[in-house]
Amino acid sequence: MVKKEYDFGIIGAGGTGLAAAMYAARLGLNTICFGTSHGSEMAIGGVITTTNVVENYPGFIRLTGQELADNIRKHAESYDLVTIREERVESVTKDKTGFRIQTAEDSYNAKTILIATGTKWRKLTVPGAFELENKGVAYCALCDAPLYRNKTVAVVGGADTAAKDALVLAEHAKKVYIIYRGDEIRAEPINRMRIKQNKKIEVITKTNVIKVNGSDCVESVTLDKLYKGTKELKLEGVFVAIGHDILSELAVPLGVKLNEKKEIIINHKTSETNVPGVYAAGDVADKPFKQAITGVAEGCTAAYSAYEFITRNRITSD
Amino acid sequence: MPAKKRPAKPKVLVYSTDYCPWCIKAKEFLHENKITFTSINVGTSTKAAQEMIKKSGQQGVPVIDARGAIIVGFDERAVRKALGMKPKKFKLW
Repeated sequence: MVKKEYDFGIIGAGGTGLAAAMYAARLGLNTICFGTSHGSEMAIGGVITTTNVVENYPGFIRLTGQELADNIRKHAESYDLVTIREERVESVTKDKTGFRIQTAEDSYNAKTILIATGTKWRKLTVPGAFELENKGVAYCALCDAPLYRNKTVAVVGGADTAAKDALVLAEHAKKVYIIYRGDEIRAEPINRMRIKQNKKIEVITKTNVIKVNGSDCVESVTLDKLYKGTKELKLEGVFVAIGHDILSELAVPLGVKLNEKKEIIINHKTSETNVPGVYAAGDVADKPFKQAITGVAEGCTAAYSAYEFITRNRITSD
Repeated sequence: MPAKKRPAKPKVLVYSTDYCPWCIKAKEFLHENKITFTSINVGTSTKAAQEMIKKSGQQGVPVIDARGAIIVGFDERAVRKALGMKPKKFKLW
């Protein structure tokens, strides 16, 4: 019979969750980590897998997001105390000795919980965007950029992800617009410079896409103001990079406090939430700067806090 | 008397691009389960891309043609069902 009692239950198997699992195992915690094998929520490996080049993770000058996720996963699974399950967590509830994790397939008990559920891509909600999703409206430039060889496309958004998406697309498309509502794109300086130097990329600022047009596939977008004398921009692909929605719903029934953005409020020294034994880390937590490296650090901090909590309270499995 | 030819087993096709993480996971899954498949790069062949769009009615990858069942994205359960594999009960990495 499989033992279903764990010291540390981690919801989410992105870089944050997997790093926390690795560190917890080093501290002797019997650890279980849950992720999904498909879909855009809580996927094993996390959102970093959709980044083509990672250049800001110490120890690796340049590697793909998938390679980074695979390395962290392999590191975690090198410890016998780590179990990784491809199961979707449906709920987490408090019980007498800790927490009960209910998945679609089974239920598990854990003395402490780390919520590392991250985020999912925010959808473009203008008319036509839903109807034309995967018919020209796309959310993963790394996946679908090669399908737009010699075509004209746009990236909607202005943060670093939008800039990186535009750079990936420029390797294939003949023309890439970045359409951003703000005054200036907010990418990291190195990517801003790359955008500026790339002759295929044109940045349109202070402008919103208000409609995506097309019958069977994308044919154009409508802008809220004139650009070069027209509000209709003819193109064949719209890549959406307007940020992420926080996946903190599982924390709510536990009484975990969220901020106005639905991020979980944590103690930034310990990764503790307001509920004893419940920790949060990575993109789901309330912090202004969200990177793989910062999520990994918070995950490891949460593992240490969970270890201290179990030791201090002398929680046993019996 | 010449031997009767067996009808060819319908193929498993994976329409994919080079760096798409779900394409990689889909192919890893088929490899691990010893399912013979053909990988078709829609990023380098317009003809293949058109074939994928015609089959799936959309432009996202991966698309898996699991012996006639068209699956958009890597949905392990749907692939298992289409290929007559046992549903996964328990998997440890």
